[in-house]
Parts: sequence; structure tokens; C-alpha cells
Amino acid sequence: MRSVGTSLLILILSSPLSAATIEIVVHDGRGAAVHDAVVYAIPEGRPVPPPRRTAVMEQRNRAFIPHVLAIQTGTTVRFPNLDDVQHHVYSFSPAKPFQLPLYKGNPPNPVVFDKAGVVTLGCNIHDQMSAYVVVVDTPYFEKTAANGRAALHDLEPGRYSVRVWAPDMRGEPPAKTVTVTVSERADVTFNIGR
Amino acid sequence: MAVRTFQARLLWLIVAVLALLEAGTLFSVYFAGQRTLGKSVHDQLQVGAKIFERTLQERALRLAGNLRILAKDFAFRELVASGDVPTISSALENQRKRVDAGAVLLVDLDGTVTADTLDGRLTRRPFPFPSLLADAQKKGEASATITFSNKPYQFVIVPVLAPQPIAWICAGFEIDEKALSDVRGLTSLDVSLWSSAAGLISTLPPEERNDLLAQMPRTPQTMLRLGNAQYATLLETLHTGDNSRVNVLLQRNLAEARKPFDRLVLWIFGLSFVMLAAAVVAAVIFSRSVSRPLRVLAEGAGRVERGDYISPIVVEQKDEIGQLATAFNQMQAAIGAREEQIIHQATHDALTGLPNRTLFLDRLSQSITASKRTGESVGMIMMDVDRFKEINDTLGHHFGDQLLIEIGRRLTQTLRQSDTVARLGGDEFAIKFTAPTARHATEVAGRVNTAFDASFVLGDVSIDVNASLGIALYQMHADDAETLMKRADIAMYDAKKNHSGFAFYEPGRDEHSLRRLALMMELRQAVARDELELYFQPKVEVSHGRAAHAEALVRWNHPRHGLMRPDEFIPLAEQTGNISLITKWVVRRAIGYCAEWNRGGLDLAVAVNLSALDLFDTELPTFISGLLSEAGLPPSRLVLEITESAIMKDAAYALKILRDLKRRGVVLAIDDFGTGYSSLAHLKRLPVDELKIDKSFVQNLTERATDDLVIVRSTIELGHNMGLVVIAEGVESQESWHILERLGCDMAQGYFMSPPLPAREFREWCERRAGAASALPEQTLNLAAHPRPPE
Repeated sequence: MRSVGTSLLILILSSPLSAATIEIVVHDGRGAAVHDAVVYAIPEGRPVPPPRRTAVMEQRNRAFIPHVLAIQTGTTVRFPNLDDVQHHVYSFSPAKPFQLPLYKGNPPNPVVFDKAGVVTLGCNIHDQMSAYVVVVDTPYFEKTAANGRAALHDLEPGRYSVRVWAPDMRGEPPAKTVTVTVSERADVTFNIGR
Repeated sequence: MAVRTFQARLLWLIVAVLALLEAGTLFSVYFAGQRTLGKSVHDQLQVGAKIFERTLQERALRLAGNLRILAKDFAFRELVASGDVPTISSALENQRKRVDAGAVLLVDLDGTVTADTLDGRLTRRPFPFPSLLADAQKKGEASATITFSNKPYQFVIVPVLAPQPIAWICAGFEIDEKALSDVRGLTSLDVSLWSSAAGLISTLPPEERNDLLAQMPRTPQTMLRLGNAQYATLLETLHTGDNSRVNVLLQRNLAEARKPFDRLVLWIFGLSFVMLAAAVVAAVIFSRSVSRPLRVLAEGAGRVERGDYISPIVVEQKDEIGQLATAFNQMQAAIGAREEQIIHQATHDALTGLPNRTLFLDRLSQSITASKRTGESVGMIMMDVDRFKEINDTLGHHFGDQLLIEIGRRLTQTLRQSDTVARLGGDEFAIKFTAPTARHATEVAGRVNTAFDASFVLGDVSIDVNASLGIALYQMHADDAETLMKRADIAMYDAKKNHSGFAFYEPGRDEHSLRRLALMMELRQAVARDELELYFQPKVEVSHGRAAHAEALVRWNHPRHGLMRPDEFIPLAEQTGNISLITKWVVRRAIGYCAEWNRGGLDLAVAVNLSALDLFDTELPTFISGLLSEAGLPPSRLVLEITESAIMKDAAYALKILRDLKRRGVVLAIDDFGTGYSSLAHLKRLPVDELKIDKSFVQNLTERATDDLVIVRSTIELGHNMGLVVIAEGVESQESWHILERLGCDMAQGYFMSPPLPAREFREWCERRAGAASALPEQTLNLAAHPRPPE
């Protein structure tokens, strides 16, 4: 097992507005920006509001879109099939094992992801198709852009546990605790092993 | 050493050269093949090693493929995700059977065995082949050869994807003999795996496996003898996932590897044989084309050897052999001509060019052989030129030679072409002719004689020549050529002796010639030793019955043949010229006895027979006169009896002698009168005193035998008329005696009175007779007591 250095650099910047912001950068072991990593902040000691909306995981051109879908626990996800072939979407992941046997168009029942965790999706017909639904217990989550950056906006001031998940990630780096105040901006950097 | 013909030698040469060439080819092919075979086996082993490696790889890929399909089974993935170990174990067992694996393990992503088909032996333990897992984590999947539970296994490991890896599934497949025999099927190589842990797994037959175990090689390339076979062996070490040492042995059975090569060699061998056979056929044809004319030449030479100079050698070729044949034919002709010349010289007389004795005898034999077929009579004449020696002596040898040549020429001209005239030597010629009868033979003899009619004119000399001819005829006189010649010769001497011109062979003349020759020798000795004896037969006066003459008859008491009568040896003495010896002996002895008797008072004359030949002896009269005077006997006491024919032989000459004798007072008598052919005129001229009628007229003289009676009577009358004393011989009966008495015959002689008696007995007879002169009848009885001797 390769040992991965996990030095953390946390930058906390105060926001000029009332809501606070945490800006996060994710690098891999070689210093490259990690795209489509899911970063999220879980408020410590405070309840989180329930999810407000549904999410969509399309199947188009024999691929799941998006490849990584981040949602808050309890979110309902629809799986519309935009291809002219049928798909058989499945997950053996403990967070949410399910199957949507062969179908076209919109399956009748959307899937509710009610447990946090990473759910790996596959299609039993098309081996190359794969996607991740990252279920987190917070409404504050974002995916990194191509430059490995993401920003969590409109945070209430307080302590947050900031985490990261990325496909092919080798071991989950320890969560970072960040306390933000109004109009403050905090910076968090993750170095992940891949 | 066997005679080997040219053809055979040529054949052998071609066959030998070809066989050598083919043997060379075969050897080159063989050795090149051996080398190639060695290299090919080496290459095969190298390639085999690669194929073996590749086969294992492919097998692993195939197994991995199988395993991958399993890993993708939805239900299986679902099961693995569920983490229900007992179910997973039973599913693994099920899959193990499906893919025919030795063992199947499920390993989690952390490298711990989740489930196995080994009764859970490895479950919850670390995966036993971490390097394999590491390899798989790096490459997605992996395979390796690993010794597992003392057997070589191929293990493959693939991830279980959902769709991201959730576990690893690993399966082990034993490398057994079947797997190795797949390689054997591909490479024709025997494949063996050996490791100290796993022992030996091999495609070799069991016996050879044991041999291999006993001599496990250590060097990469070796030659091993396993069982009865030789194996080229390549040793390699197998790459294993657990770093255990596994030897891979690739082996080639050399006998099998050699099989195609051996087939090739056999093919070449067969092909060589066919070529050899073809070459033999070609060689036979070629050598025959060469040797046949040679054989023709050899046969030609053989013909020449046997004396055939006529049949030429026919060789159509125009090459050297043709030239040789031409030269040979020329040589043959030359030899023929030369031999002909030699034969001519050998068979012909050089002087006259006529056939010689050899050729004559040959032709005579041929004619005789031919006549046995045709039945024709063959005759021959032996001819001798009279007085040739005289001619030769007088006129010279050259003249003699010329004469002989001329005689030869005339004879040849005279005779037919089919007849043969030959010169046997000296003045002797021989003529062979065919003649149906003896009369024809006489004609031939006559023709031959005509050749001598004309005088021979040679140079300035003219000469009359006569010849004596002896004729003998085949079958009549002899059965073969040699005898015929001998008998013709005898006949010729007869002709010469008789001056008769020609004579036929007289049968019997020749038979006892040897005996006669011996007898003649003995006769001469007998005369010399005084072994002859005189017998006397009285001539009795018919009127008085008194013995007036005693005819002396010579007897020869031969030591072996006994007592011989004159006619048994006198002709022989005459022929051999010894008669005068005997005549002189007889005359001397007869005169001796007569003189003795006269002195003893016995008054009679003695009569002696003269031979014809004695009449040629001019000294005889003188000799007789001498004896008479010596004995003191008056010539009238000697009577000389001469046969009519003796006088006739050469009347003139005989007459001379007879007159001489007569003049000397000797009494002459004609003996055997009536058998010859002398004319009365002739008779009249003879100076004879007595006439003896031949006994053939007297012996059977009876009153009834009118012919004899007439002859005897006429002869007596004739004799008396001519003033001769007439004597009858052969008086054998009283009747004859009485007839003679009646006819007035003067004297009688014969067995009726007395047979010829030895001198002493004769004298006794005379004395008895004188004592009883008048008692004839009594005498008759006495006389009859004498047996008549056989004729």
C-alpha cells in the first residue's frame, strides 16, 4: 500500500456578505487538479434542512450523465433513458442497492437515496457504463471544476466538517473542520491519493 | 577362372560404375540428411519450447476469459455484493465444475480470501499468491504458473466488477498430461514437467518416464536414451509465480524424427534400383549390339577352324567391326586357297599331278561307301609298267619321268571323268572305276590297255611300252578299300607273271598269304635239311604186269601240318620262285634211289615231274646230265614228266629246253594229257616219248562210260600212231585195268596197283610183284587192300 502524503492547507477567508463561503481546491498526489470530485461540508451540532429538490441521472449515448451526481440524503433521483436502446441500471452498493430492469424513457418510480454513501451505478447491458451517486448528509456540496476548485456558498456561520470524495480515490482523507463567520471566506485544500 | 564374355564384362562395368555413382549419391544424401536431421531436431526443440510457452499463455488467456465471463454474471456479482459466504462458496464450487478448474477462490479488495472451493481451508486468510494479486491490481488481471498442492497449476485472477471492482476471483488449473499432450499434438515433441515438489508429468510412455527420472539432465541440450529410443532433449526452466523451480523437458524421439528421412532414403534407394535396372537393360542392349557382331566373328573363326572357307562372315556394320569382318573374310579366302594348295600337294603326286595313294584310297573308300547305297560295283586296277626299270636305266630318269607323265595323261584321257587315275609311286598306277559287272571291268582294262597301243614318242625316242593290270572288284573280291588294293596288287603280279596283260584277282589267292609265306620259309629250310621225302608209285606194264617206271612224288612231313602232298606246297614253291630248288632236290634223290635199285637188280626207270617254271631254267639239262653221270645211271632210266599246260606257257622256250634234255637221252613224257588245249600239230613237234592220259578220263573208266572210253581209246591210238608210249593214270578198278588191257594201253598207274609208297615199301612191293608176276587176280586182291586216300 502506497503511503500518501496528506498535508492540508486550509485557508479561511471572511465573506464581505452575511453568508460565509468555503472555497476548496482538490489536488491529487502529483499536484494535479481533480475534476468532478465531490466536496461537502457537514455542519457540526446543528440540524440540516431537508432536501428541496429532485435530481436526474440521464442515460444518453450509452453513458450516465453526469458521471458523478452529488445529492443530499433523501433526494429522489430520476433515471430517464434518452437512448433508443434499453438499459438495466443497477447498484450493488450498500448505501443503495437497487435495480431498474430493462426500460426505455422514464422509469415509473424514481429512486430515493435515503442513506449517505457512494452508490456505484452500472448497466447490466453495457459494461462500460458507470456512474457514481454521492449521497451526503448536508445540502452544502459541490463538484470541483476542471481546475479542481469548488466553492460552497451561503453557509451559516459555524463549524463545519469538510470532506471530499472522488472516483478512484485511494482512501478517504480525514475531514477538515472549518469554522466560518458571516461574510467570511474559508479556503480548504485537499490532497487525495489516486 | 570362369570365361567371361565381352558382353558380360561390359555389363559389369556399366553396372559397377552406376552402382558406385548411386552409392555415392545415396551416401551424400544420407549424410546430408543426417546433418539436416540433427539441425532440424534442434530447431524443432527450440520452436517447441516457444510453442510450449505460448500454449501455456494461451491456455491462461482462455481460462481468464472463462473466468471473466463468470465474474460478469449479474447474479454472481449480486451474490458477491451480498457477502453471503456459504452461498458464495457453493456458487464458486459450481463455477469450478463449469470451467473445469482445480480450485476457485474469491478474494476481497484487501487481499483476504472471502470464499474458496477447498472446504474453506483458505477462507479469511490472506490470499496465498500476493504477487499474483499485485500483478492483477496493476494490470486488471493476471496469470502465473504456480506449484500448488504438489502439482503445477496455472492460476488466473480477474476482478469482479460492479462495475467498479468489488472483489477478485481466482481459479487454478492443473497442468496435467492432457495439457502437455496438446503441445505434443502441435509439435510432435514429448513434453515433461519436473519439479522436486510435483515430480514428473510427462507425455512419455511409462517405462521411458522412469528412465528419464533416473537421468534427469542438467544441461540445456542433451541426448538421452530412454527405453529403446534415443531422445534429443531440451531443458528449460519454467517461469513461475511462486518462484518454485519447474523444469520443462522437450524431447524428440529421433527414430520418429528420422522416419520421413528414412522414407526419403528408401525412395532414393528404390529409384536407384529402378535406374540400375534400366541401365542394365540399356547396357544389355548396347553390349549386345557390340558383342553380337563379335560373336558372328567368333563363329566365323570357328567355321574357319573347322575348315569351312566358303561361308563368309556377314556383318552389316560399317564400323571397325565391319572392317574387321571384311579383313577376316579376306583372310579366310587366303587360308582356304593356301590350304587347298597344301591339301593338293598332300594328296597329289608332284610329278604327274595325279592323285596320290592317300587320295586314291580315300576316293576308293568313298566310292565303296556310295556303292553300298547305290548297289553299284566298284572296281580298281593296279597297273605296273613292264620293264620300267630297264627303260629308266637305259634312257635315264628324266625320260622315265616324262614317260610316267605321258602315261598318266593318256590314262586320264582314256578313262571317264568319274574314274580316278592315281600314281602310287614308281611306275605303279591305280585306277578306280565303277562297273556293274566283271565284263565291264574287262572293258575298262581293255581301254587302259589301248592307252599303250600307240608308241610313246618322247623327244627323239619312240618306245613301245606295255603294262600289267591287276583287277579287283568290290564285293566280289574285297569289302574294303585297303583289301581291294592289296588284291588288285596280287592280281597285277599274276598278270605280270603270266604276261597276260591283265588278270582278275582269284578268290582265295590272298587268304593264306601269310601262312604261305611262312610255309615257304619252312620249305626252303626243309629242302636244306633234307626233310622232304620221296614216295614212289609204280607204272605197271599192262602186258606183263611188271613195274617199268616208278613215279617219284615228293612228300613233306611238316612238323606241325603233318604229311603234306605236293599240290599243297608245289604251287606255292612255283609262285615264290622256289620250285627249282625242289625240282633239283627231287631229281637228285630220284636218281639216287633209281641207281640204288638198279644196282640191287630192280630194273626200272624213275619218273620226275617238272614244273612249268623249270622249263625256263636253261641250266636244268646240264644239271640233270651231271647227276646221271654222277650216279652212273643211263639217261633213259630218267623220265621227266611235263604237263601240257607247262609246255604251252612259253612253248618256244620250253621246246628248247625239252630238245636239250631229249638230246641228252632223257625220256620225256607229257603229263595230264587231255586237259590242255595243245593242238595235235603242236604235240607233234614235241620231242616226247610218252604220253600220260589224264586220270580224269581213267578213274571212272568202265564199259558203260562211253565218252571216257572213246577218249581213252583215241588217245591210246593217237599216241601209238605217233610212236609214243601211252600210260593211263588213275587206274582204280579191275574193270579199268581190263579195258586198258583190251585197248592196248602200254602202262597203267593207279591205286588199283599201288598207291605211292615210301622207297623201302615200294621196293618190297616190287619184289613181291616180281615173285608173283603171273598171278594178277591174286594181286588184285592185294592191291584192293590198299585204301584209297582222300582227295
